[in-house]
Amino acid sequence: MMLPGSVLVLVAVCLPLLYPAMALHAGWVRAMRYVLPVLPLPALLLALGSEPGWQLEMPWLLNGGLWAMDELRRLFLLLTAVLWLVAGIYAVGYLTSHHLRRFCVFWGLTLAGNLGLTVAVDIGSFYSFFALMTFAGYGLVVHEGTNEAIRAGRVYLVMAVLGEMAILMGLLLASAAAGSQMLADLPEGIAASPRRDLIMALLIAGFGVKAGLPLLHFWLPLAHPVAPTPASAVLSGAMIKAGLLGWLVTLPFGEAALPGWGALMIVAGAVGAIGAAVVGVCQQRPKAVLAYSSISQMGLMVLMVGVALADSGRAPVLFPVIALYALHHGLAKGSLFLSAGMSLPAGAIPRAGAWILIALPGLSLAGLPFTSGALAKLAMKEGLLENRLELALASYLSPLMAAGVVATLLLVLRYLWILAGKLEIGDNPPMLVAGWLTAIGVSLVAFWWMPWDVGGLVESPVWLPAPYQLWALLWPMLIASGLALLTVLASWLVKQR
Amino acid sequence: MTLNAWIPVFALMTSLIASLVIFALPEKGYRLRTAVNLVAALLKLGLVVVMVRGVFLGVDYGVSFTMVPGVTFVLKADAFSMMFAGLSAVLWLLTTIYAVGYLEDSPNRSRFFGFFSLCVASTMGIALAGNLFTFFLFYEMLTLSTYPLVVHRGTETALKAGRTYLIYTLTGGAVLLLAIAWLHGVAGDLPFREGGHFIDADPDIHRSLILIFMLLVAGLGVKAAIFPLHGWLPQAMVAPAPVSALLHAVAVVKAGAFGIVRVVYDIYGVEASSALGLLEPLSWLAAFTILYASVRALRQVDLKRRLAFSTVSQVSYIILGVSIFGPVAAVGGLVHLLHQGIMKITLFFCAGNYAETLGIHRIDEMDGAGRRMPGTSVAFTIGAFGMIGAPPLAGFITKWTMGSGSLAVNMDWVVVVLVFSSLLNAAYFLPVLYRLWFREAGVTWPHERHWGRLETSAWLYWPPLLTAAMTVMVGVLASLPFSPLSWAELIMLREYAP
Repeated sequence: MMLPGSVLVLVAVCLPLLYPAMALHAGWVRAMRYVLPVLPLPALLLALGSEPGWQLEMPWLLNGGLWAMDELRRLFLLLTAVLWLVAGIYAVGYLTSHHLRRFCVFWGLTLAGNLGLTVAVDIGSFYSFFALMTFAGYGLVVHEGTNEAIRAGRVYLVMAVLGEMAILMGLLLASAAAGSQMLADLPEGIAASPRRDLIMALLIAGFGVKAGLPLLHFWLPLAHPVAPTPASAVLSGAMIKAGLLGWLVTLPFGEAALPGWGALMIVAGAVGAIGAAVVGVCQQRPKAVLAYSSISQMGLMVLMVGVALADSGRAPVLFPVIALYALHHGLAKGSLFLSAGMSLPAGAIPRAGAWILIALPGLSLAGLPFTSGALAKLAMKEGLLENRLELALASYLSPLMAAGVVATLLLVLRYLWILAGKLEIGDNPPMLVAGWLTAIGVSLVAFWWMPWDVGGLVESPVWLPAPYQLWALLWPMLIASGLALLTVLASWLVKQR
Repeated sequence: MTLNAWIPVFALMTSLIASLVIFALPEKGYRLRTAVNLVAALLKLGLVVVMVRGVFLGVDYGVSFTMVPGVTFVLKADAFSMMFAGLSAVLWLLTTIYAVGYLEDSPNRSRFFGFFSLCVASTMGIALAGNLFTFFLFYEMLTLSTYPLVVHRGTETALKAGRTYLIYTLTGGAVLLLAIAWLHGVAGDLPFREGGHFIDADPDIHRSLILIFMLLVAGLGVKAAIFPLHGWLPQAMVAPAPVSALLHAVAVVKAGAFGIVRVVYDIYGVEASSALGLLEPLSWLAAFTILYASVRALRQVDLKRRLAFSTVSQVSYIILGVSIFGPVAAVGGLVHLLHQGIMKITLFFCAGNYAETLGIHRIDEMDGAGRRMPGTSVAFTIGAFGMIGAPPLAGFITKWTMGSGSLAVNMDWVVVVLVFSSLLNAAYFLPVLYRLWFREAGVTWPHERHWGRLETSAWLYWPPLLTAAMTVMVGVLASLPFSPLSWAELIMLREYAP
């Protein structure tokens, strides 16, 4: 017996939303820890089990509520549910009793916001969930209570509040221009509005704070690493994508060609992709490297958003690719983050196995053949083919993507290098291992059965790249490996003298 | 006289009679006094519910007496009356419950509750007044019945604050009386009427009308705490918490705001006010007050003083909303009459709880209080986020509606003011929330008391939780019939299409 999507969505959103009430009963605090992995389950069921296209109308909600799921939202919902699920399992083993109740309360609220915004179709609900996620997320960032966490939290909060205000203003103007309270009407309204550029600027900046757009990203490398590891994973894997989704559902894609805005986003994406890598390889702490890697990866998605803005005819082709890329990145990045809190097994063979499992999602990010990353990279490449695009910057895209792969792999190698010096031999709590293994399994295996869509850009079988594609995928990786080797050699030589 | 004519009179009498009975009761009759208080509050709430339903269906409640020829005493209930009456009835009940717990074992409770009921009777009268003369009577009665509440503690500071309060409000009252008398001379005895009276006024009296409007706003602006007439409000903080809650959320500041709305919409008429060029300066004044008071709030170290400046700022939202010539923005202003009341009373209840339970008065003493008093702190958090305008709470509905309405009539600068005000609100509320939840508590509280199982006395525990729940409900369920937003839309529908 399968509940219809419109009923299940209420359960999916209300369960994490009401879960914090458990904290009121002092005797239930211990149980709260074990409920963490249960919270995203209805949402997971909703993403996998319900057919896109259902709607839930709630005319009494805010200014008229409407929740629904289409193909795009489905992927974001799936990513959110899966990532919070594996992080939740991991958290059961990871968390200490230090302010456990408080952490669980914020976990539930942040999750409710993150899930809700993927299915909210009216402006009021969407903005409410977005704000809930933002403010509750603060509790996850500062949880450790160290001076560093508090500083990071302050930067996070100031930037977040400014971002929220930009979004509020942008949505108000857009809603007035469209004369509607629904997100679906905004693109048309914005495109026709005399204040178009102001609205675009506000929405791009407001959601850009969440998505780690260059110059608006300062909080991100501070906040993502200081949070407890499971929270880092959802911050960098799922919550960062809320900004991306915000763009996708509000900006006027396919309404009119906006070469100026498109070029701006393409440049911002390129700066993010390459610049974050340059800064990232200089980091000393593993999670900080991963945070920069997230900015770098988001840069590639921003670049695609820019192309879709500039070339309105290409937007429908690129949307599924952006969603696919977001899904792939979220799963892989989540797995990488979770490995930062592990201990290594004592035996040589199990340890080698562990290292392979730690490295694989990272190599996936760089586009290793037979991983989700290879598919995402190939789809992106096809989507951005020069001869299909009508924009000035088209010829730069291909080299940019290759540079992006080099940057990605360098960051991953840097992460593994630091991690190798940090991870200790010891026992892991079983739930922590279970969460981590699930994350890797989902990223490497279950991904192939997920309902993504490559829009016919990649020939089937999608998991098997053709020989020429293999080479295209591998040569930037070889360059990066060569560079990394040279660096290691050089540093070894310097030490010898 | 039909029964319908008498219902407003009954609604007025419940608090009035309760007040007289309480004055007559001996100081020791604690149970009986509480019973009288609660029965009267429930009775009044019931009568208001009946009237709300009646007004919605178009029943005409009204009664009038001629005092001297040309001056009539009129009580009537229209949609706008019911908004204020509803606020007053609901929050009176909760504040009474709260006050019973707050003033446990303190002296002069009989006097306190007597004037407390009298104050509520005045707000009811203000809500139901059918013309400016009647309005003025109750407006002054409110001044006189709140003074004993402000100075209730009898300390040096309390007496000083009371003096300031009287000087401000009595002067305001005198100016208001002058304006009403002048208007009477110019246009006769005007009942409040949806759509107003001056849409096609004789050009000869335009100048007088403009001057009278200024005087009216000045007189009413004292209670509404519009800059530069707000000085009494932060000082009045010495009053006990339930009084602050009532002054800020329901009675005094709202009476001023309510009066201004009445003048703009039901005496002059919004079109006439706009045509006479009266609205724009009013909107600038309101916008300035919003921002100025928020900046002042930032610098306060005392929790209640910070909340007081926040009130000055938030009440001007109502003024700003009605000074925009457009129905949607005005809905946003009107709905804030209720929204601000619910949110602010929550914050004051909580401030009172911290003071009574832990002896906390200053913001820097609040570290770690969230763990010791989770219920109160959750309520405070909801109230604060509501003030910031975070969705889906009450304040967001206000800001969204006002913002949409301002854009609809091309007053884009209002949106900028709203956003800046939100930023300032975040700047002075978020640090408090940070202290509550994320700082470790000190070894001891300044002055801690214990009440068995709950974090504080049950009388003090439930009212803020209820109002916090209302803050969430009026936001989340904004589109339900009889929600504050729907009711404000009904009022504006009748104002713009009388």
